[in-house]
Amino acid sequence: MALRTPVRTEDEPVGRTTRRDRRPRPSAAGARLWTWLTLPGTVWMSVFFIASLLLVAAISFGTTDQLGDPRFGTDLGNLKALADPAYRDVMVRSLGYALLTSVICLLIAYPVAYAVALHAGRLKNALIAAIVVPFFANYLVRMYGWSVLLSDDGPVLRVLRALGLADAHTKILNTGFGVIAGLVYGFVVFMIIPLYAAMERMDTSLIEAGRDLYGGPLRTFLYVTVPATRQGAAAGVVLVFLPAMGDFVSAQFMGGPNQIMIGNLIQDKFFEGQDWPLGSALTMALMAVLLLAMFGYLRRTRKDEAEATR
Amino acid sequence: MSATATTPRPRRRRRGSRRRPVFAIATTVVFFVLLYLPIAMVVLFSFNSQKSLTVFKGFSLRWYEAFFHDSVLLGSLGMSLEVSLVAMLGSVVLGVALALGLVRHKGRLGSYAGLIMMVPLITPEIVTGVASLLLFKGLGITLNSGTVMIAEITFSISYVTVILRSRVAALNPEVEEAAMDLGATRWQALRLVTLPALLPAILASAVLIFALVFDDFVLAYFTTGVDPQPLAVRIYSAIRFGVEPTINAVGTMMLAGSITLIGLALAIPRLFGRRGGLDLISGE
Amino acid sequence: MTQTPVVPDAPAVPAVRLEHISKEFNGSHAVRDLCLDIAPGEFFSLLGPSGCGKTTTLRMIGGFADPTDGAVLLSGEDVTALPPNKRNVNTVFQSYALFDHLSVADNIGFGLRRKGVPKAEIRERVGAMVDLVQLGGMAERKPRTLSGGQRQRVALARALVNRPAVLLLDEPLAALDLKLRRQMQVELKQIQREVGITFVFVTHDQDEALTMSDRVAVMNGGRVEQCGTPEDVYERPESRFVAAFMGTSNLVSGVYRDGAVQLDGGPSLPVGTRPGIADGSTVDVSIRPEKIWLSDFEPGMPVVGGVIRETVYSGPTTTYLIELAPGVTVAALEQNTARARMEDRWEGGERVEIGYDPEHCLVLGR
Repeated sequence: MALRTPVRTEDEPVGRTTRRDRRPRPSAAGARLWTWLTLPGTVWMSVFFIASLLLVAAISFGTTDQLGDPRFGTDLGNLKALADPAYRDVMVRSLGYALLTSVICLLIAYPVAYAVALHAGRLKNALIAAIVVPFFANYLVRMYGWSVLLSDDGPVLRVLRALGLADAHTKILNTGFGVIAGLVYGFVVFMIIPLYAAMERMDTSLIEAGRDLYGGPLRTFLYVTVPATRQGAAAGVVLVFLPAMGDFVSAQFMGGPNQIMIGNLIQDKFFEGQDWPLGSALTMALMAVLLLAMFGYLRRTRKDEAEATR
Repeated sequence: MSATATTPRPRRRRRGSRRRPVFAIATTVVFFVLLYLPIAMVVLFSFNSQKSLTVFKGFSLRWYEAFFHDSVLLGSLGMSLEVSLVAMLGSVVLGVALALGLVRHKGRLGSYAGLIMMVPLITPEIVTGVASLLLFKGLGITLNSGTVMIAEITFSISYVTVILRSRVAALNPEVEEAAMDLGATRWQALRLVTLPALLPAILASAVLIFALVFDDFVLAYFTTGVDPQPLAVRIYSAIRFGVEPTINAVGTMMLAGSITLIGLALAIPRLFGRRGGLDLISGE
Repeated sequence: MTQTPVVPDAPAVPAVRLEHISKEFNGSHAVRDLCLDIAPGEFFSLLGPSGCGKTTTLRMIGGFADPTDGAVLLSGEDVTALPPNKRNVNTVFQSYALFDHLSVADNIGFGLRRKGVPKAEIRERVGAMVDLVQLGGMAERKPRTLSGGQRQRVALARALVNRPAVLLLDEPLAALDLKLRRQMQVELKQIQREVGITFVFVTHDQDEALTMSDRVAVMNGGRVEQCGTPEDVYERPESRFVAAFMGTSNLVSGVYRDGAVQLDGGPSLPVGTRPGIADGSTVDVSIRPEKIWLSDFEPGMPVVGGVIRETVYSGPTTTYLIELAPGVTVAALEQNTARARMEDRWEGGERVEIGYDPEHCLVLGR
């Protein structure tokens, strides 16, 4: 070979060489750039999110000093306190409220998503925007408006009384129903969106086939539409359950002292009672319930996917 | 049974299957009424000439005037705007970088970052709030607007990353290669080609984050100092400890603000004349 | 045989030289110990089925993939360690990879701006390029508003305006419909002659490679199977793979002895004396359908009998499937020229004789 190249010296062997070991590879610079882009956000999240969650876990084993400031420790008292009937009842109630909220949202969202996705024609996009936009309006202001609407001499009860559906003693606020109404109002959009998306994807000829097979619209809905949108519904249940379980505003605005939820307890321990270790233990308990729910959901969807691909 | 399914149906039957579902439509109408009525109430009573929150006596702007003469509320408004702006900039810078890195970085760092990005999305705000409060106290940081900003950035990075990640993944890698082929360094390719392609989605998510942070109450409540307090925290105290109709006026203005911003976030991709912006329905 | 760079009358410094390059992805070789020289000004095609390593080879020349082993030399300079922006090559990508936020003119001027060419000169060169690729009047439009063929031209202009030593084209015509593709093939060839830049063209379409190239490298399994002029690789394939890949070819197997191949259970085909093939060895015989005669045999031509099994009429040509022995079928192609008459066409079941020139037979040892 008469070829001479500038980078090659005479005594270097021509031909087979392993360049990987001797020279920087051009793509290495690229990999470094991606690392530098990933690093700041990752460090930020590790410090301000992951570390702080670990701190909550650590403090839940701690105690308070005379000033009410938290101290680290290995005390199991806070976790034992969770079994105390007063706290246990609140946790059971929170779970019940959040589950009922999910069910009610499901019952509202199915007809709404169905009507918007399949029977709204050209209005479809406008209607879905009309559902999403109020969700971005201030949560407190919406909750406040809702509580005014449902108050003892508010418009809803006045209409119900005029129709003879309620008497002078009927209340919505300061009842469990009021709290659930608040949670439903706050989070129903999280149910509608995934259900709407699922119905959009659904093959509408399924419904027509269902009509032929089953006849009635209700039977078609139950045997065709519901199974076809099951994954959307499952996602919606999780998306509603998660924030509903941790909410404390609805119970404060719509409920009374007998309707408090776990979120109110946590808020109380941090702002009124100054028992941060116990508040941390309650937070851990809440997180545990939610992680269980999330785990169940993920297992469910995996199973569904596995069945779908079979 | 299969015989009935394959037999062609008379026409009447087919038209029947397109019949409007009366129950579903009625539910939808009631749903929309109940969805908007509380908001309408707030707006209506913000213009009430009397202090009553249940009886509308006449039109007036007195509660808006009251707001603009209330130095505490104005201070809160200023703080909320400041916090939202900083949180928006901070989370967009970190989130966009992270989204780019996450999609391209194939190592262990990438999978770790991808995992911790998802945790905030399933964590209720109260938990994030408690955790931030404990961290700031533990580090001996005095609570003020700075701590609110840090907490809000933490909370928003995941949103920005999740929104932009799918956009980055959908980019054609050959476009960046083309820029480098034409003499750009990797960094120049990112700046001159990739970021402009992502611009609609970046702007849309920035507007969205601004609106979310401005309206956010729970995190702000846990991480703010005593004075000034973000507007949402003031509203909370006002609602809890005796309602002034001024709150209706503030609420109305916040509603108008958020609706404008959300409208903007949805419209941005169209302003750029292309898809690839923010899709609130399927983008997440 | 394929390991040494094949180029007739190679100039002292090839525009592109690949020295024993390999590329591994997760332990499997996409390209394996490949050597290739491409002369300046050549229109060179890398041809092969998908997964043969042709795009990976192109990406290694462009700097988008690092060879696991070996070196890439451009005009004699080792660029193996250089990133794409430091190499004097430009690429036309399969997806065109246009910058959607820039106008056509800004897309084309991108490379010149990176190099810091003065504004006035950029304007002039971009204008000239717009004319060359016939995009006059579209300079200010956004790529999104252009048709597929126009986008293709922008991608070409964007690369060519930088006057690279080598232009790499990664299946640039694959996304176009057939008619536009034929037109662009001609245009691309004209442009290449006009600018005199070395083109390295990746394609899986053998027609495209044959029409446009000065030389073609047929690739398979990460290696070059054969490299030569279009005529070389088409008329004188050196392997079973090349014979089969370059258009339809008849492949029959038998035992070679004394200048003839005895087909399994069929006639013996005289193929002439083949010095490289040992008597009694099993071989494949390949002959293209258009090289088989059905009538007007020349004197001395070997003739074999068979039965027409199928007649396939496809406009300008008619293909006959002829069974020479049970299980041994060959295709023969006849032009439907002005002299051929419909009633002369053979029917299924008829006995025919076929003739061929032994020189057109390719005998491949196993």
